[in-house]
Amino acid sequence: MRTRNTNGLGLLWLFALLSLAIPSAEGAEKIGAEEVMKRAYLAEYYPGDDMKAKVLMRLVSGDGKERIREMTMLRKDLQEGGEQRYFIYFHRPPDVREMTFMVWKYPRRNADRWLFIPALKLVRRIAADDKRSSFVGSDFSYEDISGRGVEEDVHQLVREERLDGREVYVVESRPREARGTEFSRKLSWIDKTTFLPLKEEYYDTRGDLYKVFSADELKEIQGFWTITRRTMKNVQTGHRTEATFQEVRYNLKLSDTLFTERYLRAPPAEAVR
Amino acid sequence: MKLWTPILLSGLVVPLYAQGFSLHGFVEVASGLRVVEDSTQPKDLVLGEGRVQLELYQEWEGGPRLFLKTDFLGDVADEAVKVDLREGYVDYSPLPNLDLRVGRQIITWGTGDFLFINDVFPKDYISFFIGRQPQYLKLASDALKASLFVGAVSVDLVAIPFFTADTVLTGERLSFYDGLTNQIVGKDASIVLTKPARTPANTEWALRLLRQFGSYEVALYGFKGFFHSPLGVRDSPRRELFYPELAVYGGSVRGPVLEGIAYLELGYYDSLEDRAGGNPFVENSSMKYLVGYERQAWSDFTLGLQYFVEQMLHFDRFTTSQPPGAPSRDEFRHLLTLRLTQLLRYQTVELSLFVFFSPSDQDYYLRPTVAYKITDQLTGVLGANLFGGAKQSTAFGQLEANDNVYLRLTYGF
Repeated sequence: MRTRNTNGLGLLWLFALLSLAIPSAEGAEKIGAEEVMKRAYLAEYYPGDDMKAKVLMRLVSGDGKERIREMTMLRKDLQEGGEQRYFIYFHRPPDVREMTFMVWKYPRRNADRWLFIPALKLVRRIAADDKRSSFVGSDFSYEDISGRGVEEDVHQLVREERLDGREVYVVESRPREARGTEFSRKLSWIDKTTFLPLKEEYYDTRGDLYKVFSADELKEIQGFWTITRRTMKNVQTGHRTEATFQEVRYNLKLSDTLFTERYLRAPPAEAVR
Repeated sequence: MKLWTPILLSGLVVPLYAQGFSLHGFVEVASGLRVVEDSTQPKDLVLGEGRVQLELYQEWEGGPRLFLKTDFLGDVADEAVKVDLREGYVDYSPLPNLDLRVGRQIITWGTGDFLFINDVFPKDYISFFIGRQPQYLKLASDALKASLFVGAVSVDLVAIPFFTADTVLTGERLSFYDGLTNQIVGKDASIVLTKPARTPANTEWALRLLRQFGSYEVALYGFKGFFHSPLGVRDSPRRELFYPELAVYGGSVRGPVLEGIAYLELGYYDSLEDRAGGNPFVENSSMKYLVGYERQAWSDFTLGLQYFVEQMLHFDRFTTSQPPGAPSRDEFRHLLTLRLTQLLRYQTVELSLFVFFSPSDQDYYLRPTVAYKITDQLTGVLGANLFGGAKQSTAFGQLEANDNVYLRLTYGF
């Protein structure tokens, strides 16, 4: 499968060539902010047709107290940029060990979520608010984990600059629906080559900076640029979460049937070890 | 049953740390005290125990998987050391679409939150009332479960050849309303519980069909076996109760509504030994209805509401069959529940309240808890079980003198 970034790169070159030949019309030679965010969304949440990764999260409070969350995450795309299925199996800490969490994500509507509690052999349906819920007590919300639709915000290209030696687009996003959203404004530094966000700043409803996201390590895995280490820091509380994606693999040909109650109750060993 | 746990465990020490093996569990100390006067109970300690739970998991090449969960318990309240095989089963898939689970297993179906219509599997109400972990509400069944997956439909068929009863109030730790003598009794209750004979014909059967239609889960259920609570009187002077035959047919729907999850469940309880409803010694047939809704009102705060109705069928025959002086029962018992959960401090603190309230029985049961995750391994829970009611003969009213406060400290590994 051709990677999104190579398509993007090709288009950029074409635009650059055209801009030399054609007298510049407003916005015609530049890539629009919405297009940047669309590609960023696909690059971050849709690489490959499916994915398996071991995720280790370190939750560090302002005074240095540390908690660990370790899980195996599986993702399958039913539609590029659209419906997805997620399966998360918790290894640590002991109170969530062996719980499995399944999400059926839909564009433009609330996701369906299930949680299997092994001690009770109970499958619970979770009613959660994507926008605000913290994922397992970390600084990442559910929305940070599975993605926020591009059409939910109005985007504006603020400037282009260099960040840590890389060419980036700086995009400002404001939610269309102010009610129920965590942030009033978000600034994203999107890498021009990979279209992955290298840094994000979230401003709360009062306009104060409250969360900062940074992509600490990028690796090319099976041709897909992947953020293998990322940090979300709450600058107001001093609490931060460092997430490491290990053993990342794409295009494993995961079956649709894996994302059903059957495997929620009894995950196959190959999927979670 | 108690003997084969150490035998099984020692036999499995051999493949220790071999491929596909894991051992986890927890160590827990728990203490609970009655906070009201109860003249029928000599002890105020309703919960006092040191518990070690070991969970052993072993998988083999070719697929079979073994799961054993055993509790080793030092019970101060009963002055006894107990070994309890909570679950012990083997999973195997002989066909790609067929999963088998054989052995002692907890089976949970249905949609209710602490309310059960089509989940007819045994329950431990004592553990629920004295502050043990919620997992102890469910008891395992010694069963064979076959799950078949045909297209979008899953079919679960369970055969339970060995009857497991609910753990119900019989007076040892908690006082309760004794229908035979119409008074609150406790330690001196001397109830005799007679289980169904262990014969192949007494095998219980349970069935569930589940299919998802878009975001909505629809299920149909069937059960043929016995009441798991002793709702039959065999010999009143001898204070002997039994478990009458029962069939249950029902269905449920669950899915998103507005910003939350809504569910609906129904069940028809066919009391096979008293279908006409005129036998005063056997519980009547009934219809049970449940509607529930849960949503997150704001960040880390969940609200759940349920409305549950139990309708006694052949009510007119029931009333005429009752001996004089027997407590009155309503044709319709209405029950409302409320669950409030607030997570704080990066989900390390959980404040929770679960309320049962019956406007028809005029009684209630409150379960407030505060849980704190001291570290990733160590959790402390402080909670209470508070009961009250206008009459002493109702489900929660009878427990009025059992109000208790408990503390649990659990270290997981």
